[in-house]
Amino acid sequence: MIENIKEIYRYREMLKNLVKKDLRTRYKGSFLGFLWTFVNPLLQLIVYTIIFSTVMRINIDKFYMFLFVGLLPWIFFSTSVQVSAGTIIANKDLVKKIYFPREILPLSVVTSGLVNLLFGFIIIFISLIISKIGITVSLVYLPIVIIVEYIITLAFSFLVSALNVYFRDLEHILGIVMMAWFYFTPIIFPIRMIPKEYLKYFFLNPMTPIIVSYKDILYYGRSPDFLMLGISMLIGLLIIIFSYNVFKILQKNFAEEI
Amino acid sequence: MDVIKVKDVWKKYKIYHDKGSTLKERILFKNRNRYEERWALKGIDLDIKKGETVGLIGENGSGKSTLLKLLTKIIYPNKGEIEIKGKVSSLLELGAGFHPDMTGRENIYMNASIFGLTKEEIDKKLDDIISFSGLEDFIDNPVRTYSSGMYMRLAFSVAINVDADILLIDEVLAVGDTSFQKKCIEKMVELKNKGVTIVFVSHDNNMVKRLCDKAIWLKNGNIASQGIVKDVINNYLDHLNTKSNIKCTEDSKNEINSTNNQVISEREVSIEKEEVKDIKPANKNKRWGNKYVEILQVDMFDKDNKSKHIFISGETVRISIKYKVNKKVDDVVFGIGIFRDDEVCCYGTNTFIDNYKIDKLTGRIDVEIDNLNLITGKYYLDVAVHDKFGLPYDYIKKILSFNVETRTEEIGVVRLAHKWHIL
Ligand SMILES: Nc1ncnc2c1ncn2[C@@H]1O[C@H](COP(=O)(O)OP(=O)(O)OP(=O)(O)O)[C@@H](O)[C@H]1O
Ligand SMILES: [Mg+2]
Repeated sequence: MIENIKEIYRYREMLKNLVKKDLRTRYKGSFLGFLWTFVNPLLQLIVYTIIFSTVMRINIDKFYMFLFVGLLPWIFFSTSVQVSAGTIIANKDLVKKIYFPREILPLSVVTSGLVNLLFGFIIIFISLIISKIGITVSLVYLPIVIIVEYIITLAFSFLVSALNVYFRDLEHILGIVMMAWFYFTPIIFPIRMIPKEYLKYFFLNPMTPIIVSYKDILYYGRSPDFLMLGISMLIGLLIIIFSYNVFKILQKNFAEEI
Repeated sequence: MDVIKVKDVWKKYKIYHDKGSTLKERILFKNRNRYEERWALKGIDLDIKKGETVGLIGENGSGKSTLLKLLTKIIYPNKGEIEIKGKVSSLLELGAGFHPDMTGRENIYMNASIFGLTKEEIDKKLDDIISFSGLEDFIDNPVRTYSSGMYMRLAFSVAINVDADILLIDEVLAVGDTSFQKKCIEKMVELKNKGVTIVFVSHDNNMVKRLCDKAIWLKNGNIASQGIVKDVINNYLDHLNTKSNIKCTEDSKNEINSTNNQVISEREVSIEKEEVKDIKPANKNKRWGNKYVEILQVDMFDKDNKSKHIFISGETVRISIKYKVNKKVDDVVFGIGIFRDDEVCCYGTNTFIDNYKIDKLTGRIDVEIDNLNLITGKYYLDVAVHDKFGLPYDYIKKILSFNVETRTEEIGVVRLAHKWHIL
């Protein structure tokens, strides 16, 4: 494990280049391109806001902000996992012809997603200020939540990127899974609306504590539940160790399977 | 110190006939995923010492590339162990990881980073890489505008400049032009002197001889021979020879059959005349003549009376012609001609030119060549029997093919006996 991490570190320049290339194609090198990547989340935000503040009428003050602070981190998670699923196949030329630690590929997908999320936070901060919710000192805890989310996202990404080489429709199945997962995570609704007897099931979902913490810090302006976050971190580490090992085993046949 | 240790390594490929790679297919049509297994490597044992240059030779499909892929960890063995000490750089296929729309320079950064170099390391090497590639004028053009040779130059320049302890090269050099090949060889010698371990695949035996301390001959996934370069290459050549000897024999059998079946047009007879060397190959009929005397069989023997179609230059060869007489004729001349496969006539003669009297027709005549001093290549034998004016009774073009091997690297048509003197 230590050896592996050392090796990944040695290949940091490759990771950097892949992330840079991905961001460059995403932003096309312009501010407009940068804004363009937020069109999709913005549209989602508008649709959900219309439905849930006029039709479904969830009684939450400035619902759009409540939604926004959970939506962007969710999109980071779900797109990273979905894109990771196809990343080995997309780079099959490399995988078949050159040796490099294969985990660099999902790692680069998640990392460029993270960079994108960090830019997104700038927009979130601006929106918080404009909407007069403001930002508080609890913002100092934000990095912890981001790190935990990064670990969990990476864990799932390792898993699906390796599995998808063997089961190519996983990528499509994931689309449906992610939609369901979205509704089973307290993103659109506050956690207090979940009936008591179902609450424990929601906390089986590793994304629940993450989203709840983001909302605490950004929307409610209070410190997150550290116990919950700690457990979440622990679980994140456990699943990443598991999924990394699965990846390491499955990667041996990548070159032959693709 | 051994830097590469390969212990009893086996590798098989699965060849799917109808491969399903989706969850649906894998679950629903389980039995559909039938596959054949092909063992590409069958128990390879190898030890390569630090600083050794090793040439990997063998026929197509013998497992050379598979072995290199295993050494770089692109694929993994089914059985056995591979131990490698040090940083590996490999150039197995051209242009892996090149982005056609990025410039040469950008691709150097990208490609070198895939080899595990950091930004600072690449910065330091950039000039070396560019100057080695000789692509200074094109380095800021997109790689898609490069020719395949230029592509290969760039790829090779990166791979060879990454400061690896072990360098693995598949037969990619062949794409470069002569001057670049020379440069690569010089660079490999330089690396070799620095103590880099090099393993490379080549079908160019001379290059293997020049560069390698050791050669390994792979045959059908086994090591057929390894050790001293010259011996291994000679073993390999011998094997190729016996193999093509069998093939040649079959070829020439087919040829004589087909020529025997050919209908002879009488008109041809009058057109074709004169000596063997004047025959133009453009004519697609391979056999002419009125068959008053008919050639039945032609064989080539070595000095031990063994029928052969592969000869070492300088060997004694006996060509035996069996014939029968269909109609009484006054005079008979037997002739032979040896042509290179590009239709150059190397030598032709007949009994008339040689002033050899044929006083009785026994049904067999042999001609012995003491010293077949031709240069490496494929040759064809023409055999003819005609009257003294050159009117053919039976003339067969390319009745036999045979190969000549030299183990030196002379060029030309024949080997002229010679000596060097320092005065
Ligand atoms: N991806 C693959 N799937 C199935 N069989 C393969 C695959 N790659 C190679 N083989 C088989 O493995 C054997 C060894 O192939 P390999 O490419 O190692 O040969 P080689 O010695 O490099 O030949 P060449 O001189 O043509 O490059 C061959 O029989 C080939 O058909
Ligand atoms: Mg090969």
